[in-house]
Amino acid sequence: MSAAQIAPRRSRGLFSTIGAYLPHPTRWRHVFGYMVAVYRREWIGSVFSGFIEPLVVLAGLGIGLGVLVGDRAAEITGGVSYVTYIAPALMASQAMQFGAGEAAWPILGRIMWVRIYHAMVATPLKPTDIIVGAILFMGGKVAFAAAFFAGVLLVAGIATSPLGALAMIGVSTLTGLAFAAPVTAFSVTQKTDQGFAIIFRLIITPLTFFSGTYFPIESLPGWAQLLSWCTPLAHGVALARGLALGTEIPNAATHVAVLAAWTIGGTVIASILFRRRMLK
Amino acid sequence: MNLSTSNATALIRARGLTKTFGERTAVDAINFDVRDGEFFGFLGPNGAGKTTTMRMIAGVSPRTAGTLEIFGNDPDTDGPRIRGQLGVVHQQETLDQELTVRENLLIFGRFFGIERKEIAERADQLLELFQLSDRAKDQVEPLSGGMKRRLSIARSLINAPRVLMLDEPTTGLDPQARHLLWDALQRLKRSGTTIVLTTHYMDEAEQLCDRLVVMDQAKIVAEGSPRQLIEEHASREVLELRFPEGTSRISKETLDGIGDRYERLAERVIIGCENGEAAHARALEHGLTPESWLVRRSGLEDVFLRLTGRSLDE
Ligand SMILES: Nc1ncnc2c1ncn2[C@@H]1O[C@H](COP(=O)(O)OP(=O)(O)O)[C@@H](O)[C@H]1O
Ligand SMILES: [Mg+2]
Repeated sequence: MSAAQIAPRRSRGLFSTIGAYLPHPTRWRHVFGYMVAVYRREWIGSVFSGFIEPLVVLAGLGIGLGVLVGDRAAEITGGVSYVTYIAPALMASQAMQFGAGEAAWPILGRIMWVRIYHAMVATPLKPTDIIVGAILFMGGKVAFAAAFFAGVLLVAGIATSPLGALAMIGVSTLTGLAFAAPVTAFSVTQKTDQGFAIIFRLIITPLTFFSGTYFPIESLPGWAQLLSWCTPLAHGVALARGLALGTEIPNAATHVAVLAAWTIGGTVIASILFRRRMLK
Repeated sequence: MNLSTSNATALIRARGLTKTFGERTAVDAINFDVRDGEFFGFLGPNGAGKTTTMRMIAGVSPRTAGTLEIFGNDPDTDGPRIRGQLGVVHQQETLDQELTVRENLLIFGRFFGIERKEIAERADQLLELFQLSDRAKDQVEPLSGGMKRRLSIARSLINAPRVLMLDEPTTGLDPQARHLLWDALQRLKRSGTTIVLTTHYMDEAEQLCDRLVVMDQAKIVAEGSPRQLIEEHASREVLELRFPEGTSRISKETLDGIGDRYERLAERVIIGCENGEAAHARALEHGLTPESWLVRRSGLEDVFLRLTGRSLDE
């Protein structure tokens, strides 16, 4: 057959291109179920270790810094104890760490070393189904861990309303997702895990200090405040704190919207990049 | 190449199938049909384009040009539907090490949307078929290479595929594990599964394939049953002469007329002929003094050598 006879591949129409990126309405569940099976054995352990650490930090900082901050605490916190002030913020910040961590090595590993994603794209699953299922599972894991944390806060009397605690779990989960999704988008482009050190040391860990966790965002210079509000954590902290203290949350809808935007934007970009990587 | 359609239905049909990666052409305008129920092979050395072809069939690598139909559908637009009826075993391991042997099958079945009960029944049958039942509850990691490969194949059959695609299934296995796997594949074929296999092992292609294409440098260079290929492209017998000191100093005139044709490799001269013993006698008359020699029947190895001037393992 001569070259002239070879049919050039017809390019997809716009409709079909978009269709290729849309998740199937139900198939992501199977990916979620797969992750549940993988983690069934280490479920409690991983969640426990994920949130026991911040509880220790909470105890240490709350008591130690509380003493140090002393009478000035009321100035910063608006009347409540320092522990009460930072506890909900730590919950949101831990959700960030947890969500980002789940989106890093576990994702890259299944592309590079376990290679199971190569087998999965050879089933009816679309790359987008895999990403959506994986990210929702990360959300589930964060929710589970946050519930544990919220339980401790309730028992310790730091959180006072069960309903507020429930809402805090929701906010933490959304905060975790708002990091898990963009970090997934990063992970699917990587060939080694070296990039993760940069992400975690330069972005994730420092964010805790610039998002109103330990001191109000308002004490930062104006440009830093602006920068903070562009990231998800500041919004998660503002929501979690307001819910824990039972105070009114100005701009609550905006906070939720920013978190949702990071989650959805990250998922869309992750799906596109993952598809591009797997279907070469 | 003969493209006339046979009466048997083609499950896979490729015409002018082409794939380029930037400047490099990995698959260059190939044509082939895989018919219902047959054991079809792609035989070729590393880099020939076998894996790329398999990926295009599974719809995980969009083709650059040409037409490709699988069960009458186009993988560009019907990928999920096609993949629902394919079983794919990759060249590299893709098992989940954190799951048990049986869980690997159960979870994978779910990706096809099959009901749990049906998956469980099928999983047990497949573990039985591939002699893995006693390892069902074990982790994957400590299994031998042969067992892992059998598990990969068992997993790829969980959706009862119409076509099973195997990319170099025995590479890296010891001879005993290979033979065990060959037996399992032959049983599978007898039960009606169409199998497409890639390999760079001549004996594997010869043993297993009803029909095969020989691939080299992105192109198909020959097509047929192993017997047809050998009859068409190789003489009846082969005389191999070994020269450990090298073959470059042997003149063309010395080699002419010993057999029907010859190929000069680094340390061997391969002579195609009707009668190997007689050819050997002629070689001595021509003044050749090989360190050792042997006569054997022609095989696919010789077909490849004839078509490309190279040996497959070089
Ligand atoms: N993703 C890719 N990007 C660039 N080149 C590739 C890619 N995959 C395969 N190739 C090239 O295409 C050719 C055929 O590769 P492959 O299909 O893997 O051959 P085989 O499986 O027969 O060994 C090789 O030259 C290989 O380097
Ligand atoms: Mg290959």
